[in-house]
Amino acid sequence: MSAQRTAQEEDPVATLAEGLSIWVGKLSDLVKKVVDTGPIRNVINWARMYSLWPVNITTACCSAEFGAASGARHDLERFGVLPIGSLRQSDLIVIEGTITKKMAKRLRMIYDQMALPRYVIAMGDCAMSGGLFHDSYSIVNGAHEFVPVDVYVPGCPPRPEALEQAIIMLQEKIRRSKVYEQG
Amino acid sequence: MSAPPKPVPLTTVESTETSDSGAQTLTLSVGPQHSGSGHMRLIVEVDGDIIVNVAPDPGYVHRGIEKIIELRNIIKSIPVIERPSIIDASNLNHAWVRSIEEIQGVEVPRRGQYLRTLLNEMNRIMSHLYWLSIYGVFLGHTTMFMWPLGDRELFIDLAEKLTGARITYSYLVPGGVRRDLPPGFAEEAVKRTEYFEKRLKEYDRIFFNNPLFTSRAKGIGVLSKEKAIELGCTGPTLRGSGVDADLRKDEPYAAYPELDFEVSTRPDGDSFSRAMVHMDEMRESCKIIRQIVKKIPTGPIRRKAPIVLPRGVAYGRVESARGECSFYLIGEGGDKPYRARYITGSYRNMAAIPAVLVGNRLADMPTAWWSIDYWPVEADR
Repeated sequence: MSAQRTAQEEDPVATLAEGLSIWVGKLSDLVKKVVDTGPIRNVINWARMYSLWPVNITTACCSAEFGAASGARHDLERFGVLPIGSLRQSDLIVIEGTITKKMAKRLRMIYDQMALPRYVIAMGDCAMSGGLFHDSYSIVNGAHEFVPVDVYVPGCPPRPEALEQAIIMLQEKIRRSKVYEQG
Repeated sequence: MSAPPKPVPLTTVESTETSDSGAQTLTLSVGPQHSGSGHMRLIVEVDGDIIVNVAPDPGYVHRGIEKIIELRNIIKSIPVIERPSIIDASNLNHAWVRSIEEIQGVEVPRRGQYLRTLLNEMNRIMSHLYWLSIYGVFLGHTTMFMWPLGDRELFIDLAEKLTGARITYSYLVPGGVRRDLPPGFAEEAVKRTEYFEKRLKEYDRIFFNNPLFTSRAKGIGVLSKEKAIELGCTGPTLRGSGVDADLRKDEPYAAYPELDFEVSTRPDGDSFSRAMVHMDEMRESCKIIRQIVKKIPTGPIRRKAPIVLPRGVAYGRVESARGECSFYLIGEGGDKPYRARYITGSYRNMAAIPAVLVGNRLADMPTAWWSIDYWPVEADR
């Protein structure tokens, strides 16, 4: 072991690579700092704010109000929210209602497969704390138990207006946050 | 129906294996994260492009409602009972209060019966419109997604005037209903149903007479009359196969015996027939709503009913938007039931999913299986 280590220390290529990686790290830190303080951050956040595409997963009955919110009267596409089939292209999970133990595993899998940055809206009392079904044997009491949640929407079910408010709150949160700390 | 396939792991494509006929089949997992499924999974076995076997995998929304009912008193159970089919809440609620009233022996005043029927029919329209909008988006017809959801708001506003809530009303209570008709409701209801009937003609023009839809729905997902009866289907699925079965006519309850309406049946049993049954039912519901606001009797809306459920057994059933919804209720003298068995229309129609899908092409899957109007939340309970 010790022989190997000395050999590695003396290897000029390894030394160079190590030095280079330090400099690359410093450079990327600098880039992050420039992005997060300058106007680039505003541009990136602006783009992220208005293209929140929710993934096509429904957990329970709040999906009826999500459907109504996507529909003609409360058109969620006004806010740039367009439900999309592919989870690789989506940025947002709207957890619509009760999460059963069976569904919670799949939700976590979907969350893990989504590209960064990703956001979570917990819609309805059940997704917040179990709600009406808090004493059921087959549900998870709240989405925060297995995914980080950005915005909670109370109501059973929340009105479409409440969901719109949640979207606006999430956009505000994205607007204020740093580029590399999202998701 | 062949034997259920062995459970597959959570990957999209499991394996390729050789079937008995020597052909290679592929097992696909459709859902729960899929734009053509709901909160459920279909394990589909395909041979090339043809579906050879389908196994529905329900239970993603199983919340143990039958157990929860045993823990709450009969009034507090009402919101829980509504949740399985939130877009058709009052019909499920009706089955519950009917079974309670049967045990308690409470007679509901006639005005209360009419108000119940009114909300049930509005709910039927809302539920069918929601189904239609999802059908549209499954077939890639975005206009048919937007229009029904927009028109659904007409009836949601009406129901909000009557009950105070958008979709979860808890309006029906043992002994009657919670609130009386607000002033100006009758005129508004007539105006909105008449406008909606005009809209239905436009739906026909843009969707149901459209070759985009008819070529994908006619002759697809055929469920024969005998098969539908054998599988125990109910509701529009059964009537789409040519069986004249509707609890509103066969076992009239609430105000239905005094109302004039027709039961729509279609003989073909394909996706198109089932879709047209939904359309006909919306037209009939409009008629019923207008009749109700015209001849609703005066009088009390609610009779006092005890919160106690006496010792006894009852079976209350109604025709909900997705078929027969029933409660088998056992009371033991307390304020909670000893046992409540809860059967919904979607649960019974689940058996039809493999029957309509097997033999069709994979691309026809959304048309065929969504025409059953399967609402996973309602089926899992």
